[in-house]
Amino acid sequence: MRRTPVWIFLACLCTPSFALYPGEIYREDLRIQPLRDGRVSTTFSFVTVLEGAVPRNPMALGQVDESQHYALFPLTLGQILREHAITELHLTLNAGRWNYDNWGHPHEAGVGTGAELWAWMGASEITTVDERWSGLRNALSGLFCASLGSLDSRRTLSPTVAFPLSGSTPTFAPHELRHASLPSENVCTENLTPFLKLLPCKSHAGLASLLNPQKVFDADWHGMGIHVIWKEDTGVELKLTLQAVFNPVRTSTGKRRDWNLQLLFDRSIERSCPVASSSSITVILPEEKDYQIIPEYPAHVDGLAIYDLSSSSNFTIPSNIAMSWPSEHSFQYPLPPLTPVTPISVKRTIHGTTQTRGILSVSVTNNSPQEISAGYLEMVPALLTLWMHTLKVEINSQIRSDLLSGLKYHPPSPQSNDRLSPLDVASCPHNSTKDHARNFHRGQQSFSEIHRTSTRCDERLGSTRGRVFPAPSIVSRYPSEL
Amino acid sequence: MNTPPAFSVLVCLRLLLAVLPLPGQNLLKHDHQLSSPLTSYLRLNEGLWLLDNNIDPYVGGAFHHSPLLLSLFSTIVPPLPIVWAVSDAVGTWALLRIWRARQGLSSQKGTRFDVENLIVSVYLLNPYLLLPSLALSTSTFENTLTLLALMFASEGKVSSALLAIAFAVHLTPSSILLLLPILMLLVSSPVSHLASPRPFYGSLKRIPLLFGEFTLYWLVLVGAACIIAGGSWNWVGASWGASLTLPDLTPNPGLWWYFFTEMFDHFRPFFLMVFSVHLIIYILPICIKFQHDPLYAAFLLVGVLGTFKAYLTLADPGLFLSMISIFPEVHGYLRHPIITTLLHLHAALLLPLQHVLWVSEGRGNANFYYAASLVMGMAGGAGLVDACWAGMRIAVGDAKAWAEEKVDGEKGKVVWWEVVQQ
Amino acid sequence: MDSVAFANTGSGFKDPRNLSFERDWIRRAVLASYWIVIILALPFWWHLTSIERLALPTSQVRSQVQSNIVFPIAVQFDASISQQNPSLNSQVQTLLRDSMINEPGRWRGIDLRLQDRNDEVASSLYTVALGEQTSITHSRHLWVSKTDAQSATRLSYILSDLIAPPESSTSHSQRVVQYSDHYRLAFTLLNEDATPNRFVETWDVQTALAEFIFPLTSRLSILHNFTVESQVQYHAPLAFEPKRLTLGDTEASGLTQEDLTVFINSAEWTLASSVSNDPVLHFVLFAPSETHSPMNIVDSEGRPTNQSSFLLPQWGSIFILNNELNSSSLHLSYNDLKPVFRNFAAQLAALLGVPPVPLGLSMEGSFLSDWQLDALLRRRALQNVQGSQDTLHSIVKLVDQINNMPVGQVVRDDVLDALASLHEAYRTAVASPALALRWSSKALSMASRAFFNPGMLALLYFPAEHKYAVYTPLFASISVPLVVALIRDFIAWRRGSQDDRRR
Repeated sequence: MRRTPVWIFLACLCTPSFALYPGEIYREDLRIQPLRDGRVSTTFSFVTVLEGAVPRNPMALGQVDESQHYALFPLTLGQILREHAITELHLTLNAGRWNYDNWGHPHEAGVGTGAELWAWMGASEITTVDERWSGLRNALSGLFCASLGSLDSRRTLSPTVAFPLSGSTPTFAPHELRHASLPSENVCTENLTPFLKLLPCKSHAGLASLLNPQKVFDADWHGMGIHVIWKEDTGVELKLTLQAVFNPVRTSTGKRRDWNLQLLFDRSIERSCPVASSSSITVILPEEKDYQIIPEYPAHVDGLAIYDLSSSSNFTIPSNIAMSWPSEHSFQYPLPPLTPVTPISVKRTIHGTTQTRGILSVSVTNNSPQEISAGYLEMVPALLTLWMHTLKVEINSQIRSDLLSGLKYHPPSPQSNDRLSPLDVASCPHNSTKDHARNFHRGQQSFSEIHRTSTRCDERLGSTRGRVFPAPSIVSRYPSEL
Repeated sequence: MNTPPAFSVLVCLRLLLAVLPLPGQNLLKHDHQLSSPLTSYLRLNEGLWLLDNNIDPYVGGAFHHSPLLLSLFSTIVPPLPIVWAVSDAVGTWALLRIWRARQGLSSQKGTRFDVENLIVSVYLLNPYLLLPSLALSTSTFENTLTLLALMFASEGKVSSALLAIAFAVHLTPSSILLLLPILMLLVSSPVSHLASPRPFYGSLKRIPLLFGEFTLYWLVLVGAACIIAGGSWNWVGASWGASLTLPDLTPNPGLWWYFFTEMFDHFRPFFLMVFSVHLIIYILPICIKFQHDPLYAAFLLVGVLGTFKAYLTLADPGLFLSMISIFPEVHGYLRHPIITTLLHLHAALLLPLQHVLWVSEGRGNANFYYAASLVMGMAGGAGLVDACWAGMRIAVGDAKAWAEEKVDGEKGKVVWWEVVQQ
Repeated sequence: MDSVAFANTGSGFKDPRNLSFERDWIRRAVLASYWIVIILALPFWWHLTSIERLALPTSQVRSQVQSNIVFPIAVQFDASISQQNPSLNSQVQTLLRDSMINEPGRWRGIDLRLQDRNDEVASSLYTVALGEQTSITHSRHLWVSKTDAQSATRLSYILSDLIAPPESSTSHSQRVVQYSDHYRLAFTLLNEDATPNRFVETWDVQTALAEFIFPLTSRLSILHNFTVESQVQYHAPLAFEPKRLTLGDTEASGLTQEDLTVFINSAEWTLASSVSNDPVLHFVLFAPSETHSPMNIVDSEGRPTNQSSFLLPQWGSIFILNNELNSSSLHLSYNDLKPVFRNFAAQLAALLGVPPVPLGLSMEGSFLSDWQLDALLRRRALQNVQGSQDTLHSIVKLVDQINNMPVGQVVRDDVLDALASLHEAYRTAVASPALALRWSSKALSMASRAFFNPGMLALLYFPAEHKYAVYTPLFASISVPLVVALIRDFIAWRRGSQDDRRR
């Protein structure tokens, strides 16, 4: 029998910055960034670290699992991870289109519309990766009330180049990736509630008490993410993120871009979460200096205003954080042409008027002075047949097929007949725009297939509503100085 | 060989059409009436691209053409429009030779240029044939091969005829319908005996031998295709299997696609079997009934294919309509040529209209186009029934009084056709 | 219509009947060629539309349902008892036989024999011997005190309670969870509302588990496997407002009996759910918030009781933490958890259906005795056997009743497997109740897997009318003209042969 020595317990009490429960750390953080188009981007991240924990070895799936004892880590998620021996898991549920040109890179990557799920699992003979993948999908769709169950084998791929392991690579088994996305998935309150339940303080205390579903889902863009990563030196890290881009210009009466927490969320932080080892709000200050921020920030690091909210700090919880531009009467949108914030901007458009065919064109613009080489991954439902022979690469209406290299194309295989995944790596000269165009053909579906593939019965034969494309992925290979 | 003046003029025009840039050709290539997934030019090019990039073209369900076409266009000639124009010219020439063989004329002394001009124009100017050819649909090659097989058979060139039909069967398995009349034609003569029917007089003993020869050619072609496809058998399921299992439900003027779009999965295999058996059920009755004139039997079976085939395009009824011109003796006995013509006119107008309404404009739905394809089916059926009727009526003699008198077996067939149209 | 007309008109017409292709044999050949193709297609039709219905072993299922599992049990009276009261053996036997006749349900599946020392040794042997006081030990021994040894009635009661514990008490049978070979035990520490000055952040759950729960689960491991997990929740509000109580000078809140039934706030509490199909048993340690503390359970008259825990049938148990929490500590030590986990262990045993030790009987050692374990094994095996028999019977009946129900190879294999396992269970019951339980559990899971096979539902909703609707257009259009032609030809042939005969 083992008893926790009293002195450890006392030591824990005396060092409030260290979590009381050895082995589990929880910290939360909110980043607020005013954007140049008057919008305000807010990024919540809630991180729970299980120190020293190791993902379950899939070779041991046949045996009874070791006991799981958590204080901060959500048991419901832990059960799923253990049951299916998941090494790394990423789930994002987003609504809206992230405007890279104006908003820059998101603080949390993974902003594709709809649901996107990918997981790394160790291979095992006891239960195959695909069986566990299907179990994982069903478990997560139960947990988050999302229709992830329909991400069946016909939407599943294994694009390892674009989605590598973010953490360490376990040595116990060769690992495999499963990736699927469902762009038509709607994100709403029913997904937020289970999300909040995974937090130790739920929405009762701490930063999460700001999360008012009415406000969050009214934002121009909103999305949430669940990321489980294993790092050899720290352990299993669970990161729950929630991003929203608010538009105070739209909601305020005077068309001003002034914002404060009360205005954005219609809630305030009443008390801090007692189990959070750190809790802070960071405001990324704009470059021009004509703004005013209340309360004056206590810590000023390199263009950041940091407010520490954790119970241990002697700083009292600010009832509100407000930023205003007193000299500005009403916000003037920056006029085009705007230089995009990101080095690469990509536009994907569909041309064509008929329902059976069209042109899918991807235009990549390099905004930086250097030549950039980037990988582009795209998955297309097999209902759409891409005519690869019509692929054209153009720069300034000149055909430049030499710029495309390493084109890979996987036609839908008979086992999983709902996908195509062309992966091309293309290099793009500086300050230029490159167009790829491909024709496609939309196939006719039989009655029973329609029922199998559409999540909602809105797609009948010949109806005008189109099918939603999954978001493509860009894997950039920047020159090192970028 | 001396040719009617229309032949050279029209062939030149056709070649010119192939060389000149044609506005709207892109539209034609995508048109569902002119090319089906099995014959589409786009898919052919896609297959060539996949082959170039070392991807098996038969995986993924985008490519259904035969490996022979793939190797033809990847190694011998690029898929240029001129190939289609030449194929059309060869087809016309074959039709002309069939006509001459039927009339018992040697190729040297063609005299009746007026009729031959008509035959040539009816083939080259038939919009049902010209448009698919301009859309670069591979059905043009299938039609040409069919005509070549009939031509060689009419001229008694056994090996050439069997090789041609083996090619045709390889490209579209449903051409197997024409095998029996071609074998019969090889052991008898193409000369018209419609007006003076007699029992089959050729030697039936030769037919199994000829059939064996055909099988040999066919097997050689299958072997060649397998070698071209890199030793795998994927292509069998993707190209031949497609016309049996109907994996692609792209709308076409035929009767299959809508039926199988609405089908419950449980009944799908059964009805696929019924539709396929329905095609072959006509071979024996027509060949027995028209044993005195196997060329006419072949013509009727071309009509059956042009109405009930899977993945029908306009090129299939087009061949039947153009072939009517080489049987002038029955024209006087057609019972309702006006109705058939009107039905075809109706279908020809309705099909593109409803297709545009449904697919491009999005104002209609699948039922609009299905209704138009039913009209097309009725037109095909009416033409077929009438040709059948006239081919038998001619034997009775030149009068109208006995028109109502019909024969038992035929009545059953006619009733059946009518029901099928509904 | 007659040939005379042709002769009379005499123009270029030919009589259609004289045409070569209008001869009778050609007409018949045409008709026959249609029919030949149709007849050749019939096997395809049969093959393509038939529903796979493999024969189920109906007679085997019927016979297995009739038979029953029997555990032979031998109880041996030690010489010490026989010497004291020589007639005891026969008296106890008579009393037990009466009990068996009166309560057949309780004694089902048990074949009890009492024997003297000199009889041969049976496999499952219990011994009754004279001892200091009436008590049981871990090994299958019953020690009877001298006073109890005098009374045959007392002894027979003790024996029947030990061997066939009464399950008549309805609360007992509803409380016990359904058998499963794997359970998840989820221990949750719930703070109603964590405020910095009053909440439990951590607990010594692993130590407490090792002390109280694991000994029990390891004893039960021949019946079930257990996965144990624990979590802490910091905000778990109640769905209702507890009643305010004033006890002298202190305020408290009270939970009425009705409150207890709605105590679990499943909307707000994220209790462990099961990711697999294994049932979960919840053990909740509830720490009331500052405003609700202390929280008492009140009786029907509104008076607070000193009970601090309650059991929810088939779900788990809840312990309300009141005094143990002194406000300065954020940690529950092992000593604080002792009463809680002692209670949880007892509740776990009750939920799993461990029979209680009969009244007036003391037990050596604190956990399960073999007597209890054996009784539990027998009851669970019996329940499983009955369950699988019922399920198998239902499958056979259902397949018999619904002709459209496909029976695939998987279902058939599962049924055969279940039957084989049942058979094994019967066979091994004689030697080892534990093995019999394992087989019976396999039989039950196989039978229910067969019963819930999704493939059996595929065509359940295709009534015969639907099929006719699909086939009629097809048949009407094809068969009517062909059949009519066939009949007409037949009549013509008959008339022709009659004419011949007349001639």
